[in-house]
Amino acid sequence: MNERPMSHEQAIDLAAGFVLGALDPADEAAVREHLLTCSLSHDEFADLGGVVGYLAETVEQVEPPPALRDRIMAAAAADLASRGAGAQPAAAPSPAIPFPSAGERAERTARARTSRLGWAMRIAAVVAIVVLGGWNLLLQGQLSNSQAFDRAVAAVIDVGARPGSQTVVLAAQPGSTANGIGAVAPDGSVVMAMRDLPATAGTQVYEAWVIVPEAAPVAVGGFTVGSNGTAAFTTKPVATPPGSTIALTLEPTPGSTAPLGPIVAAGVSAAPKT
Amino acid sequence: MNDQFGPRGRVASAADDADRAVLDLVAAGQLDALQELYDKYRTMAYSIALRITADASLAEDVVQDAFLGAWRNAARYVEGKGSVKTWLLSIVHHRAVDAVRRRRPTVELPDREAVPPAAMTLPDIWPEVAGNIDRQEIAAALTSLSDVQREALELAYFGGLTQQEIAIRTGTPLGTVKSRIRLGLLAMRRSLVGGDDGGDSPDAGRGALA
Repeated sequence: MNERPMSHEQAIDLAAGFVLGALDPADEAAVREHLLTCSLSHDEFADLGGVVGYLAETVEQVEPPPALRDRIMAAAAADLASRGAGAQPAAAPSPAIPFPSAGERAERTARARTSRLGWAMRIAAVVAIVVLGGWNLLLQGQLSNSQAFDRAVAAVIDVGARPGSQTVVLAAQPGSTANGIGAVAPDGSVVMAMRDLPATAGTQVYEAWVIVPEAAPVAVGGFTVGSNGTAAFTTKPVATPPGSTIALTLEPTPGSTAPLGPIVAAGVSAAPKT
Repeated sequence: MNDQFGPRGRVASAADDADRAVLDLVAAGQLDALQELYDKYRTMAYSIALRITADASLAEDVVQDAFLGAWRNAARYVEGKGSVKTWLLSIVHHRAVDAVRRRRPTVELPDREAVPPAAMTLPDIWPEVAGNIDRQEIAAALTSLSDVQREALELAYFGGLTQQEIAIRTGTPLGTVKSRIRLGLLAMRRSLVGGDDGGDSPDAGRGALA
């Protein structure tokens, strides 16, 4: 449409279709562009457009189900929470996530394997549980994208609103656009709502980690993601005091006991301020 | 803006002012204000979404998307270009039409929309030509249309069809469909504002362009 700007006469000819929303997307965009740039009178649009709203009032009035309000308010609350998170990276582009770089990670992994045998055993047990599917994993890949995410967010808010819970904003890390929010339940499980995750392929899984300061990452569950890029899931409960980092990595195979892949999103848990 | 729209639109009422005050609070991130707005317009929003989608679950999604769109874009609502009610209604309408168009065969949902098209969140709206008119008067205005005009308007507004699709559906030349839609809207306008508005000729709008 930019190659061939719409003439004023063409725009006027499409006015009725435009105000009714009955143009194909290309024409609609061209008319909108014209309205923004043309200084001639567009009274035709006002004359016709001022009528359209009344058409809606001829419709039989039906009350929406009460639960819809809760869904909308939950989604708006989550949006509000993510605005706060969005403002932080603007001030400090890469939030300080106490997560080791690749080199440090290898070093730490080696250290962890030797000096934290008990921890490794615990992780092995977790992995076994994961493989057996004995943990709460909820994927909603079949739902439409934003709908799935909104519902996941509602679940996070439910958990986050409980006394003793913490919240965490999972901000995208360098090279990633994935983001989401999570709530740490009093039992240490993390309920997450993630979006814009690239789809997993082959044996790839997203692995969630809880990193208590000065301790090695603890794998708390993995999941795959379909083309809609959203995920809702609940991790295995582990001790997660406020100030813990919650991170998601993309792992080549399930069952990693130390993060190998890149961090796609991470954040630090905190008790809600009241 | 008033120079352009004032004579053609109506004067803002106290109810509009109240809505704008609420919308200001919505823009400021007040959840209570959003709930107030929702409670005031939920029936209108859901009814139109249900009529267009003919699917209760899809209608709920449309209403949710619309109110979240309003929540995120309240600050960009342009005063003087129609009431808050019309703005909301227009958002719901766009969302609903988009939903039914996507539902049609062979149309695959794109990945989660990163940036919604402008029309989804910032639809173009115009001031209502008359005040709050009761439903009977509106129904009466609709009866002033010819059957083919009314059919074309309903297919466009409630059916989510483009003018081109209406032409195909009804086996009517596109130019005729466009004319029916335009004349239908003008007939409604005349009926709603009364005969003294200057919109007495179907070409009044065009004449103003010269």
